[in-house]
Formats: sequence, C-alpha cells, structure tokens
Amino acid sequence: MARLGMVIDLKRCIGCNACTLACKQENGTPEGVHYARVITREVGTYPTTRRTFLPVLCNHCDDAPCAQACPSGATWIRNDGLVMVDREKCIGCRACAVACPYMNRHFIEKGLLEHGYSTDGLSPYEAIKFAEFEEGTMTKCTFCAPRVDQGLEPACVVTCPTDARIFGDLEPEDGKLQKLIRERKGWTLLPHCNTKPSVFYLDE
Amino acid sequence: MTTSSITVAPHRFAYGFYRQAWWNWLIGTAFFCGGLGAGLFLISLATGQRLGMILGYLVVVLGKNGAHLLYLGRPERFWRAAMRPDRSWIARGIWASGLFAMSGGILLLPMILGSEWHAAASIATAAKAIAIVSGLFIMFYDGFVMNHSAAIPFWNTQLLPLLILMYATLGGTTLTITLGALQDYESRETAWLEKAEPYLLIANFLLLCVYLLRMSRWTPAAQETVRMWVKGRYARVFFGLIVAVGLIATLMLSVVQQQWQAQGLSLVIAGCELTGDFSLLMLMLKSGLFSPQTAPAFGARGNGI
Repeated sequence: MARLGMVIDLKRCIGCNACTLACKQENGTPEGVHYARVITREVGTYPTTRRTFLPVLCNHCDDAPCAQACPSGATWIRNDGLVMVDREKCIGCRACAVACPYMNRHFIEKGLLEHGYSTDGLSPYEAIKFAEFEEGTMTKCTFCAPRVDQGLEPACVVTCPTDARIFGDLEPEDGKLQKLIRERKGWTLLPHCNTKPSVFYLDE
Repeated sequence: MTTSSITVAPHRFAYGFYRQAWWNWLIGTAFFCGGLGAGLFLISLATGQRLGMILGYLVVVLGKNGAHLLYLGRPERFWRAAMRPDRSWIARGIWASGLFAMSGGILLLPMILGSEWHAAASIATAAKAIAIVSGLFIMFYDGFVMNHSAAIPFWNTQLLPLLILMYATLGGTTLTITLGALQDYESRETAWLEKAEPYLLIANFLLLCVYLLRMSRWTPAAQETVRMWVKGRYARVFFGLIVAVGLIATLMLSVVQQQWQAQGLSLVIAGCELTGDFSLLMLMLKSGLFSPQTAPAFGARGNGI
C-alpha cells in the first residue's frame, strides 16, 4: 500500500515563496489561509547574519493527532496516507487545529468567503474556487489530492524553481524518497510529538 | 538555542512560539460552566441541597452546552460531535453531557414539580448513579480534552485534569456553601463543607504551584508560558486574580466566615473564588503556546522543543 510523502531539500530552498503562491493559486484559498508557507528566520550576529528558510505544509502524519482529536469523524485518512477533511461532517470545533503541532489546519471564518483579494467582491476565479469551501468548517492541505489522483504532482512541487521538493511514495525501501532520507539523514519536524510525519527534510 | 532567544511569532511565516488562538472565551466559559455546574450539582446532592442541584444542572445543561453551541462553526451539526467516542475526548464529553442531562432531569423533575419519586424507585436510583458518574466525568474531562495532544506543551501533562477537577470541586463547594447560607443559615447542612473549604483552597494552591514548577522544567514553549504568567504580560492576572483574589482572599474570608457568619460575606467569597476559577481557565487557554517549527538551519532539530 502506498504512503505518499514529500522530501524537502533545505539546501536548495531559496525562500522565494513560489510554493506558497502556487498553492494559493491551485487551491484558491481565501485570504489568510495558507496551506503552504515558508517560515523565515534571521540567525547569527551582525555582521555575520543570514536568513534561513523552512517551507512547511501539512505533514500528512501517519499517526495524525488531528484525526484523533476530531470528534465527528470529519478528518479521515486515505489508503495512500493523505489526511483529508470531509467538510460536510465538520462541525467547526477546531479541536484538530489545537491538536496539530504544526499549525497546518485552517478555519473558514464567517464572512471570509464573501470577499476576495480585490475590494470589489469575488473575482470569477475566486467565485469558482470559494465554492469548494464552507464557512464554519476546517480546511487543510491535501497534497493537491485532485492532481495526485490524476497522476500529477502537487502544485508546490512542480512550481519550486530549485527542485527542492520531491514527491512520491515513502513505502518502497528502495524508492527514491527512502533512498534520499537514508543517505542524507532526513528528519521530520517536532519528532517528540510522535506523529510520524510524511514530510521529511534534508540539510546534509 | 535558549528559551530567551525565541519570542512569540507575530504571524505564521515568522519563527517563534505560536499563540493558541483557536479556543477562545466561549470555550473557557463552557469549561467553567461544566466544572462549576457539575461540582455544584454533585456536592449539593451529597448535602441534600435541592436548589444547588437545580442550579448546577442548569449551569451545565444551559451554560456549558450553550457556550459550546455558540462556539461551533456549524452548530446545526453538533450531534456529529458524539460520533467518535473511541478516540476523541470531546465526543466522550458529549456523551457524558447527554447522560447527565437525562439522568439529572429524571432526578430533578419530581423536585421541581413538587412531588416525590414513587413510581419507579429503581429508575431513580439508576438515574442518581448515572448522574454522579457523568457529573464527575464532566468535572475533569476538559483537562483531558486539553492535554491529549502534545501540540501545546503547557497543557500536555496529566496534572491538568487533576487541576481542573480540583477547581471544579472548589467551585462547587463554595457555591453550595453560599446557597446554603442564602437559604437558611441556622439550619444549614453545609457546616462540614465550610470547615473543608480552607483545606481545599490550600490544596488547590499547592497543586497550582506544583503545576507551574513542573512546567518551568518542561519544554521551552511551556517554560515561556510560565514566564508569561509569573513575569510577563499575564502576571497581573495570575497574581492578582488567580492567586490574590481566587485563592488568598477566598481563604482568608472563608476562615473569617467560620467565626462571623454573614450572608453577604458568603456572596463575596463566592465572587472571589469564581473570579479566580474563571481567570485560571481563560489564562490556560489564552497563554497556550505551540512549539517553534525547529530546523537545523534555525539552530536545532527540535528534539525537546
């Protein structure tokens, strides 16, 4: 059985946020909702400072705390490991958002779908995309499930100009992702939370 | 990397601790009403106070459940929250609230209607048992709702359900005493509760100290919350409302009350204790911090953060 995942090479990431924009374009998320984002930090002491980047998105955890916390069963896990939200079952209790240590759950506040990024209401694109959301419910990154189901890669992966993101199946031991993780000592965010993320990072 | 080098991030694109902003004052009110109402109901049941039982029941059924409904993004689907009791503490809480509403209603109906329960004593006994168990569950399950996930380290301790239970017991005790005093001070059945209250306050104070001491040695996110409580932006609320008003003033006044019994004083004590109780829950929710998303490039890989 496949377990879809992603490897992000931090040595290649230049912090351009193309993934952030590609994600917004693909998913048509409302204002303030970013499935993919790049955390930036300045490290060092003047004059030897540098800016470092950490691209983050839903980790599609194997032991997802959001799914455990969800009282209504709205959060469910596909056979290929993608953590999904059934918006028709979601009651908007936000327990999943509190449970996710990576803060990758997003709540569609009341009124959020009534205005787009322009001041003149919704653009034709927003009008179509916003219909996929529902006020008062949670939403999240799906690894671009509709694209994946068509055999395509997630939007953030194909957009990355430095090829810092590699998407694929984590299951095969001799697969591309496992090989990278093994050879370059891949690691996950907040390992002490024991969520078994499907997004790995490389920095060696 | 030291704790002091990390600050609270202004937004999700910045590095740092992240504030818990999902659960707001409505959830705090629901937790407060749940603990207080169930505590009042059970302690009133133990002391035979009908008014306390009725008020406690209403605080849970209307206050707690009402605040939860107001908070939900889709309140019309609230029944779905009971779907996964096998894995969700919220779902277990919904079941407990439902059972409490039914069993408590069966117990209280004859009292409200002015007739004793004669028709089926066995049903009354069963209802009483269910009301006690579900009421007790409501008193502490919020602590498990909060501590279940490791996302917010300040909540992620087994001490939290105990702290919540202790405060619910204290709130129930204080209100039962107050109601007893307001009804008929001379023939009250709460004298033993008045003697117990100071010890309960001291136990709560000690538990709170242990909690903060434990968290001050926990992860950096938990340490930062403790710092905010003791020295930072929430120090006034912590020392002023939770410690000074909620514990110390309540303790001193409850000792005075044992010598100089007055109905007005009972009301002041109840006001002080409830202020501390509510402030504690609100501060717990408001000061919850998510850990930074650490990376080697940021100076750490995240173990222990």
